[in-house]
Amino acid sequence: MKLLRAEFQNFRMLRDLELNFSSDPEKKLTVIRAANESGKTTILHGLQWALYGDAALPGKGEGFRLHPIDWNASEGKRVPITATVEFELTTYRRVSGDVRETRRRYRLVRSAFEDVDSQARRSASTVKLFALNETGASPIDAPEAVINDELPPELREVFFTDGDRALSFIEADVALSTKRERVQRAIRSLLGLGVIDDAIKHVRKSASEVNRKAKQVGSGSELNRIASRLEEMENDREKFEADLEDAKQQFGAFDEKVDDIDRKIAAALQKGDKEKLQKDLDQAKREIKRLDDQLATANKEHSALFRSRSIATDLLAPLLGRAFEKLEELHDQGKIPNTTIPVLQDRLSAEICICGETLESGDPGGEKRRAHIQKLIDDSQRADEIQEIITDLYYGAKPRQADGDSGSSVWLEEYKAVVERRDGLQTLRDEAGRKFRALEMQLDELPDTDIQGLRETRRQYKDQRDRHLSRQSSIETQLTGLRREREDLEANRDRLLREQKKGARILAELEVTQDVTKVLQSAYERITNEELHKVSELMNNIFIEMIGADPEQGAIIRHAEISREFDIIVYGPNDRTLNPDRDLNGASRRALTLAFILALTKVSEVEAPNVIDTPLGMTSGYVKRSILRTAVRESSQLVLFLTHDEIAGCEEIIDEAAGVVFTLTNPAHYPKMLVNDPGVAERKALRCECDHRSECQLCQRRADAQAELEMAS
Amino acid sequence: MADRYFNPFQAIDINVPVEFHEAFTRYCQRSADAVIDQSPFPRMVDLWFLSVCVAARLGLEPADTTKYDTRKIIDGSIFGSDPWRVHQLMLIAIGKTGDVHIVSEPRKMMTLASGLAVAGLPKVIEMLKDGDAEPIWNLSDAVDSLLRKEKAA
Repeated sequence: MKLLRAEFQNFRMLRDLELNFSSDPEKKLTVIRAANESGKTTILHGLQWALYGDAALPGKGEGFRLHPIDWNASEGKRVPITATVEFELTTYRRVSGDVRETRRRYRLVRSAFEDVDSQARRSASTVKLFALNETGASPIDAPEAVINDELPPELREVFFTDGDRALSFIEADVALSTKRERVQRAIRSLLGLGVIDDAIKHVRKSASEVNRKAKQVGSGSELNRIASRLEEMENDREKFEADLEDAKQQFGAFDEKVDDIDRKIAAALQKGDKEKLQKDLDQAKREIKRLDDQLATANKEHSALFRSRSIATDLLAPLLGRAFEKLEELHDQGKIPNTTIPVLQDRLSAEICICGETLESGDPGGEKRRAHIQKLIDDSQRADEIQEIITDLYYGAKPRQADGDSGSSVWLEEYKAVVERRDGLQTLRDEAGRKFRALEMQLDELPDTDIQGLRETRRQYKDQRDRHLSRQSSIETQLTGLRREREDLEANRDRLLREQKKGARILAELEVTQDVTKVLQSAYERITNEELHKVSELMNNIFIEMIGADPEQGAIIRHAEISREFDIIVYGPNDRTLNPDRDLNGASRRALTLAFILALTKVSEVEAPNVIDTPLGMTSGYVKRSILRTAVRESSQLVLFLTHDEIAGCEEIIDEAAGVVFTLTNPAHYPKMLVNDPGVAERKALRCECDHRSECQLCQRRADAQAELEMAS
Repeated sequence: MADRYFNPFQAIDINVPVEFHEAFTRYCQRSADAVIDQSPFPRMVDLWFLSVCVAARLGLEPADTTKYDTRKIIDGSIFGSDPWRVHQLMLIAIGKTGDVHIVSEPRKMMTLASGLAVAGLPKVIEMLKDGDAEPIWNLSDAVDSLLRKEKAA
C-alpha cells in the first residue's frame, strides 16, 4: 500500500486540511515540517482513525474528543467529522509466465458526528471504500477486510509510529513484560500466526469429536472411562490456558503499577528534599542490576564449560591417544596426507600441467589434457574416500591432540577461573544487597506520610504482582501434569482401540489429528524462530549502520538482538548487556527503535508506508543524518513529521530523497513564535507549500527572524 | 576434507532411552529463563556428549541400545554448530574398535557413541545429584575429581 492523499474535516485541530504524499519510488520520502503543537500527532491519530476506527485512538477512543476544542456552538451542536485517505494498491498476477503488475487507487472515507458538550458523545463511525477509476468511484463492500489485509491492525504501531512512544519497546521504565508483549505481538502479527493458531484449535476440536466416537465404541468399559476422562481434560486444558493468559496479563499490569509507584516515590523524595537518599537508592539499584548482569554472564560461562571442547578433550585424552597412535602409523606409512587430488586440482586451476603443457580451456590439446586430469581426479576421489577422511581427521584434530599431550588440563584451568569470578561477584552482590536493604530501612523511617503512603501502595501492588506470578507458576505446573496424564491416557486408549473390532478406523482418524497437530505446532515454532532471527539480524544491521558514525557509542555498542523471549538486548564489549536507559544516549535509543520498526516492516514483505512522528528527536550531527539516510533506504514509503530542529543539518538528504515537502503552522503561535499574524482566530493547522529550505508570510518563525537579524548585523 | 564429509552424522538421529528423558528435561536449559545452576547443560546434545566422554573415560563398555525403548532427542545436524565433535566421534570410534576404516560408516560410529552415552548417562546423573550443592556445582566437582584422579594416577 502507498498513501497518496489525506483530507480531514473537523478532526481536532485539523479543521480543513489536505495532505499529499510522495508515491515516487525514486523519491519516496515525504516531509511534513511542523513545529510542536502544529498538528503532527493529530495527523498520526487522524490517519489511524480513518483506517482502523475508534480502536486506533488513545484509550480506544473512550473519552477522546474528536471535534475542535474551540468549536463555536453557533455553527451547530453536532459536529460532522470526516477523514479521507486515498491510497494505491499494487497486485501481481501471472500471465503466460510473465508477472503482470496492476495498480489500483482507492478512497476510504470515515465519518462520525460528535456532540459539543462536556461528554463529547460520538455516533458510531461509518466507513466507505471506493475504487477510483477514470469515470468515477465504485463502492466496495467490507472495507475493513481490505484494510486488514493490506495494513494488519496488529502492526498499526509499526506503520504509524510516534517517535517518543516507540521507545517503550526498549525503555527501562516500562515493565519488562510490557516490552516483551509489545515486541512479541508485533512479530507474531507480522508472521500471520493467527492462521496457524486457528488451525490448531480446529484440529483439536476434531480430535475431541473422534475421542467421543471412541467413548461410544467402548460403552461401559475401560475405554469409555478413559475417553470420558480425556474429554474432561480437554475442557480443563482450555480453562487452564485461559487462566494462564489472565495471570500473565494481571502480572504485567501490577508490574507496571509497581514501576509507576517507584517513579512517584522518586519524585516525592526529590520534592521532600531527600535527594541524597534518592540518589543513593538509585545508585544501589543500578549497582545491583550491574552485578546481576555480570553474575548472569558468569553463570553462562560456567554452563558453557559443559559444552566446551576442553572438557571433551580432557576426558577423552586416553582414548583419543590410542586412536591417534593408529593415525600416526598411517602417517608413518605415507598414507597420510592424501595429496593427489589437491595437486591435480591445483594444476587445473593454474591451467599448466606438471609437464609444462598448457591446460587452457580454449586450446584443443589443453582441453583434452584437462579432461584426462579431471578423470584422474574423479577416479582418485572414489578410491581415496576413506583416506581423505582420515587425512582431514589427522590434520584437523592433531593440533588439539598436541595440546592434550601436555598433560595439563585446560578445563580445570577454565573451571578455576569461572569459580573465582562467580565467587567474587557473589560477594559483591551480597554486599550491594545489604546496602540496599539498609537504605530501604532509612526510607521506612522517614516521617513523610506521602512517601509512606506510596510505599504501602507499592507493597500492596507488589504482593498482588507476586500472587499472580505464583498463580502463573501453579497453572503452568498443572498444565504440565495434565499434558503428562493425557499422554498416558491416550496411549492406553489407543491400545484398547487396537483390541476393538471397530477401533481401527477411529484409531486411524486419531492418528491423523495427532500428526496434523504436531506438524502445525512445529511449523508455528519454526516460523517464529526463523522470522524472529531474520528481524533480529536486520534490526542489528540497520542499528549498527545508523549509529556507526558516532564514535562514542560505536566504542561501547557491539551488537543488538531480539532474544527468544522477545527482549530487545544491546551488547557491549565482552558480550555484556547494556542498559538502554543508562548506557545508550538518546540518539542510540531512537536509532534502535527505528531499526526495529524498519526491520519488522521489511521482513513482513508488506509494501506499507512508515509514517513516523519526530523520528530524529534527541539526535544530532552525523548520527541524525545516518538515521535519516538509512530509514529512507529501508522503507518503501516514508512519511516523516519533522520539526525545524530535526531538519537542521539534514537538508541535503531531504533535497535528494523527498518527493513532497510542505509546512504546517498553528496560527495560535502568533505572536510568541510566529512573525506575522496569520489572521485566523481559530486554532487549526494551516498548510503552506514552503519546503525545508524556505518560509513565507505564514510560516516564518520568530527564532528564524531573529537569526536573520543577527546575520544581517 | 570435501564438504560432503563435513558432518557425516547430519542425517542420523540421536536416540535416548525413554527412562532418561526426564533427566534431559531437568538438566538441559529449555529457555533463556532457565535456572542455570539447576540445568547446567545449554542443550540436550551437551548432556548426551558428556555422557559419551564420561563412559569413555571410565572405560565403560557401550550398552546395547536395541534393548531399550528409545526416543529421538535431536538429529546429527546439531554437530554442524560444533564441528570438532565430528572429529571426536570419529576418534572415539577408532580408539574403541582399533579400526580406522570405521570412519566411512557414520551409522556404526553413531551406534557406538549412543551405546557409550547410555552407559555413561547413569554416571553423569549421579554426578549431578551427588553432593550438597546445586547440580552445576555437584557436576563441576565430580568432573574436577575425575580429571585430577586420573592425573594423579
